[in-house]
Amino acid sequence: MEGKVKLVIKFFPYRYRDYARIAAEAAVEAWKQGKFTEMHNLLIKNSPRLDRESLIAYAKELNMDVEKFIKAIDNKEGTSIIERDLKLAKELDLYVTPAFYINGIKVLGVRDSDYFKEIILKELENVNKK
Amino acid sequence: MLTKNSIIIFLCLVILFLCIEGFASERKKIEPLPPIPVPKNNPMTQEKIELGKKLFFDRRLSGDGTTSCASCHDPEKAFTDASEISLSYPTTRNFRNAPTLINSAYAKYLFWDGRAKTLEEQAEFPIMSPFEMNQNLDFVEEEIRIIPEYREAFKRIFGQDVNIKLIAKAIAAFERTLISKNAPIDRYLKGDKNALSSEAKKGFEIFKGKGKCIECHYGAYLSDQKFHALMIPENPKYANEDKFIVTRRYVAKINKYPDYMNIKEDLGRYFKTKKQKDYKAFKTPTLREVAKTAPYMHNGIFKSLDEVIEFFNKGGGKGNKVLKPLNLTEEEKRALKTFLVEALSGEDLKIKPPDIP
Repeated sequence: MEGKVKLVIKFFPYRYRDYARIAAEAAVEAWKQGKFTEMHNLLIKNSPRLDRESLIAYAKELNMDVEKFIKAIDNKEGTSIIERDLKLAKELDLYVTPAFYINGIKVLGVRDSDYFKEIILKELENVNKK
Repeated sequence: MLTKNSIIIFLCLVILFLCIEGFASERKKIEPLPPIPVPKNNPMTQEKIELGKKLFFDRRLSGDGTTSCASCHDPEKAFTDASEISLSYPTTRNFRNAPTLINSAYAKYLFWDGRAKTLEEQAEFPIMSPFEMNQNLDFVEEEIRIIPEYREAFKRIFGQDVNIKLIAKAIAAFERTLISKNAPIDRYLKGDKNALSSEAKKGFEIFKGKGKCIECHYGAYLSDQKFHALMIPENPKYANEDKFIVTRRYVAKINKYPDYMNIKEDLGRYFKTKKQKDYKAFKTPTLREVAKTAPYMHNGIFKSLDEVIEFFNKGGGKGNKVLKPLNLTEEEKRALKTFLVEALSGEDLKIKPPDIP
């Protein structure tokens, strides 16, 4: 499967959680600094400790440019990207997180890796057939 | 005199026993789907069904506006959510699998623990459950009432203003339209002997005979509409998950289970009845559309019908007093699966989400 699957992550900060939005801002800035995956993993691991101070600590832990990071999350520099993704979710009538599309197949909610594996292998098989 | 009376009583008991036995074996047949039973206090009209459909898909019914009935009973997934444990309110965790709504019009009990007896009664539970839709029933009435289109529809259909009981009635009316269409088993039972392949016919014989499936899965709904403790194992994936434990404790607590803090298993219907016979007992699900409603059992522990058949073949879960090993051969298991998949699957119900006012 290696090298055959492309993963695209979209933002969907849950509107009723205090830190969802600022955590999304943190992830956007981490992406700009080439540390998206690392930050993403830290956010998942440390959730719900996603307040401003915690996020800054994570940025330090990842050796990011912290000054730039603080400026970005305080000025909400990721807004246009986050809003773009929220608009897309609305168009797709998506409200549940996590939500996945695998070659157009919608999968909602937490699933184990076997569930994804089965769909991905089937999709790869279909591609090979074509 | 005493002897004479004893003989009479004995004969009466024998006759009664024979009647019960005869009645039971008479009942244990598979039948085609009859017309749906409609409660007298909630007659079906097209307009009511349409209203119910809108409400079924309306996310206003959840506290945060993200979840509708269709989120966990997705028309694209045979009115389940295809999850082991059903989807839940954001930041919480459900603890049971979402059963299909297809053919639920025939169910005498709703939910795995049978805590509701009608679809009308059932509809309110997930709306107010903190780990499902987490909405307040008084509040949702106002949220629906404020929409002129809804308000007018309720006045037209029920002659009354919006209230939660009428919301539930409309949803129930829609749900009663979700019926298996043209399943091969129905055609077969009505005389079309070509409706099943020879492999499925073999499977049907196993279903009725050596497989003993018919002991609990009979009638038109393919369920005895009873509760059995098959000692299905706990799903190990969730056993130590805090959110799952929270939900299980909560359910035990609201059912006044004294030691709810230390509950380590889902006690099923026992939570409601507190009767020993219901300890870890769950509802016999319908087998209609079973091929489309994986994963299986109250906690979704079995991913495939093969795993389910294997569970029953081995005589069920540890310590159960209901099942015995079946000793089915590989060929018999295959045929049984073919029957379940081929015979019991109707045409896909093409339900599209409506425009929500």
